[in-house]
Amino acid sequence: MQVSLRPSAPSFSPRLAFAAGLVGLFVAVPLIYIFVRALGADPADWQRLLQTRLWTLLGNTLRLAAAVTAGTLVLGVGLAFLTERTDLPGRAFFRWALALPLAIPPYIGAIIHLALMRPRGGVLPQALESWLGYAVPLPSPLGFWGAAFVLTLFTYPYVYLLSGAAFRSLHASLEESARTLGRSPLQTFWQVTLPVLRPGLLAGALLVSLDILAEYGTVALLRYETFSSAIFVQLSGRYDRSAAAVLSGVLVTLAMLMLWGEVRAQGQARFTQMEGGWRPAAPVALGRWRLPALMGALAVSAASLFVPLGVLTAWSVQAFADADITAAVFRTGSQGFGNFALNSLWTALLAAVLAVLLSLPVALFARRSPGRFSHFLARLCQVGYAIPGVVIALSLVLLVNRFLPFLYGTPLVVVMAYVLRHMPQAVRASQSALSILSPTLEEAARTLGRTGAQTVLQVTLPLILPGLLAGGALVFLTSLKELPATLLLRPAGFDTLAVRVWMWATDGFYLQAAPAALFLVLISIAPLAFLLRREQMFR
Amino acid sequence: MFKTISFLFLTTTLFLSACAPVSTPQVRQPEAPAHTPTSPEPTAALAETPAAAPVSGRLVIYSGRSEALIQPVLDAFRALYPDVEIALKAGSNSEIANALLEEQGNPQADVFLTTEIFTAQKLSESGVLAPYTSPLVDQLPADLRSPDGTWVALTRRARVIMYNTDLVSPDELPASIFDLTDPKWKGQVAAAGSTNGSLQAQIAVMRQLYGEEVTENWLSGLIANQVTFFGGHTDVRKAVAAGEFKLGLVNHYYYHLQLAESSPVGVIYPDQGEGQKGVITNATAAGLIRGGANPRAAQAFLDFLLSPEGQRLFAEQNYEYPVVPGIPVREGVRPLDEVRLAAFNLAEVVKDFDATFDLIEKVGLP
Repeated sequence: MQVSLRPSAPSFSPRLAFAAGLVGLFVAVPLIYIFVRALGADPADWQRLLQTRLWTLLGNTLRLAAAVTAGTLVLGVGLAFLTERTDLPGRAFFRWALALPLAIPPYIGAIIHLALMRPRGGVLPQALESWLGYAVPLPSPLGFWGAAFVLTLFTYPYVYLLSGAAFRSLHASLEESARTLGRSPLQTFWQVTLPVLRPGLLAGALLVSLDILAEYGTVALLRYETFSSAIFVQLSGRYDRSAAAVLSGVLVTLAMLMLWGEVRAQGQARFTQMEGGWRPAAPVALGRWRLPALMGALAVSAASLFVPLGVLTAWSVQAFADADITAAVFRTGSQGFGNFALNSLWTALLAAVLAVLLSLPVALFARRSPGRFSHFLARLCQVGYAIPGVVIALSLVLLVNRFLPFLYGTPLVVVMAYVLRHMPQAVRASQSALSILSPTLEEAARTLGRTGAQTVLQVTLPLILPGLLAGGALVFLTSLKELPATLLLRPAGFDTLAVRVWMWATDGFYLQAAPAALFLVLISIAPLAFLLRREQMFR
Repeated sequence: MFKTISFLFLTTTLFLSACAPVSTPQVRQPEAPAHTPTSPEPTAALAETPAAAPVSGRLVIYSGRSEALIQPVLDAFRALYPDVEIALKAGSNSEIANALLEEQGNPQADVFLTTEIFTAQKLSESGVLAPYTSPLVDQLPADLRSPDGTWVALTRRARVIMYNTDLVSPDELPASIFDLTDPKWKGQVAAAGSTNGSLQAQIAVMRQLYGEEVTENWLSGLIANQVTFFGGHTDVRKAVAAGEFKLGLVNHYYYHLQLAESSPVGVIYPDQGEGQKGVITNATAAGLIRGGANPRAAQAFLDFLLSPEGQRLFAEQNYEYPVVPGIPVREGVRPLDEVRLAAFNLAEVVKDFDATFDLIEKVGLP
């Protein structure tokens, strides 16, 4: 029942290596920028930086990354267990409700939780105070715990989906054998279930923690300072891009350590199984835990999906009830709502297509010629995730101006930033799509006289297309939400939905921002639904 | 479900493409061969005959001032020069300044509007700005314009303390910015953080007014007093209005903007007593970008900003202090000539701005 796919005999194609190398060069653009700028830093600068709050902020970042990763693991695995392996009522409903928060950008979630919960100023504390007559201390969405809470709420679906899929594909007989061999249910979980879940969990945890490293907007809203804040301090006022680059280098190093750690932790273990013999494991009866479990799942989906959607809808209704606000929503300066919604769509779509196309040579190369260089390239494509959007944006400003000046000042630079930032998702999707493809198929094509390129076009591509589409949908989804790089790189007069939401919300015009935010969430649901439909658990 | 969603998705996309203006992705063509816009052509802006010379084409404006505040000014300018097509990029003052520094070899913008003078000075020193002396500049005091003509101040702001009138009674109000370090206000004060240009400028001015040590003690005192530092002043004013904090250190117009929302807020112009050094002011500024594609329109725009109409718009829309003498402040705004103003030499302050950041980093201001 455990079948390990035989990797095809390593074959080295110079053309493929060259293409993959070019992609590697492209994704290394921010790294080159950081390197060049950091080298340009005055040694006195380094001295100066060491005297800043570097260590405190680094500690803050690591603490937050650890807390959010732990939170998402507990929430993600726990909820996936509930919906996949127990008799929780309404499982079909919860599968969707627990995955859909991915469509809500964390900064929008933060704005909503702030509006509802902030101490004294929030809707809930004020309502309670006017009802009871005295102030009730409520948990605050601010500071370390607030930031950890909000970020966990809007990132746990990554882990939920990955572990849900793993629970789902887990062969019943594995756990049954463990039980037959005398393991207790708990021992079975630790010794059999968890190891099988491990690859998915590690991938999810890595995604979450890399994201937190680069996080700035949401934590700034929630008044928690991370290492990105230190980078922003160097950029503002001093305009010291060298110092900012030195600090970004620290983040890149951290990201590389995490990626290396993931490789080590994944080890050589591969778990694949034949589809044929699969049957679902018997659901665990929750018994008297049924009600608490139901309440828990309800609470999570309320806080991460229904409340945000409800607030956005209520605000939008209020906005449309006011003629002035409606006018402002639909026309800002020379631009209308349709214009920036369209901008969002076409840039994200183009980025998705490009990211998938660029990920192909890297993934193919890593599969055909497994080796240090090809794996290095595949890993390199994932570092971009940990670099703050502003630094990616500034690196593109410099390098595009130097080498492709005609492109600068066009929306294509925004698309390039999306591709750079979201390459990790495309590469991962392409790699996993390729990994389930049996090499014998390609070998058969070669034996029948097809050339390498023909094999890719006629055999490989059609077979991995669904996986590629999934990668594209993920890039599309995250590009729609992208903010920091878009803010800086967009040509004058070019706005996207995310930019509009941010501009209005930071000026305090929440009602005006709400329709754009709601629309952003709704169009994000389309690619998300496509992704979910592919998963066994949503069929 | 999926079919319905994809159908909705498709139809909205189609709908949006149908109602969006045709010219979405515009590749910007250089409209004129690169040249330095120093030629003293007679510009359209000799205030009396604004629309005399044809000013047209695309005018790209980068703004550190928020879009909501600058849009009415742009609309008024468009009304005067209908042939000009305006493209605005508004954002964080410092981020845009960084972008301007990185895109220096391939300039995209024609004009940059900043939220304080130090950014303009820094860009001027780095060669990003082009000199232009508007015929209207003569009316301004010498310290509100760059000696080499690369930037000019547009409006002034006073650094004031706003308070929540429900939470603070008139007899306990602070009278000086130094009162903010009084333990009595511990945890009750909100301010903008170290990435905010207005606070940076205030610290720079304080170093000159009070000396390094006093300023350092003040900053450490704020941190020790658990002042909450926000990214910007909009958050500060809203938090004070909501009663989350009793006091907020802001630019004066944030008080007026909050008051316009009928919030329970009041304002103090600090350090007004005998022997005190007066309220600190700062200024927004504008400059033309060297190598900008449309210097004619840029010059006309700058002239418009300094014209009575432009100045009045800033005063009326955003409660700011016009730099051009004779333009009244908006009703309810305390005129600056009734206020004891801190006297400092801006040119000197600008010079050691680096030392200000050393201080900010030394005390570890968030």
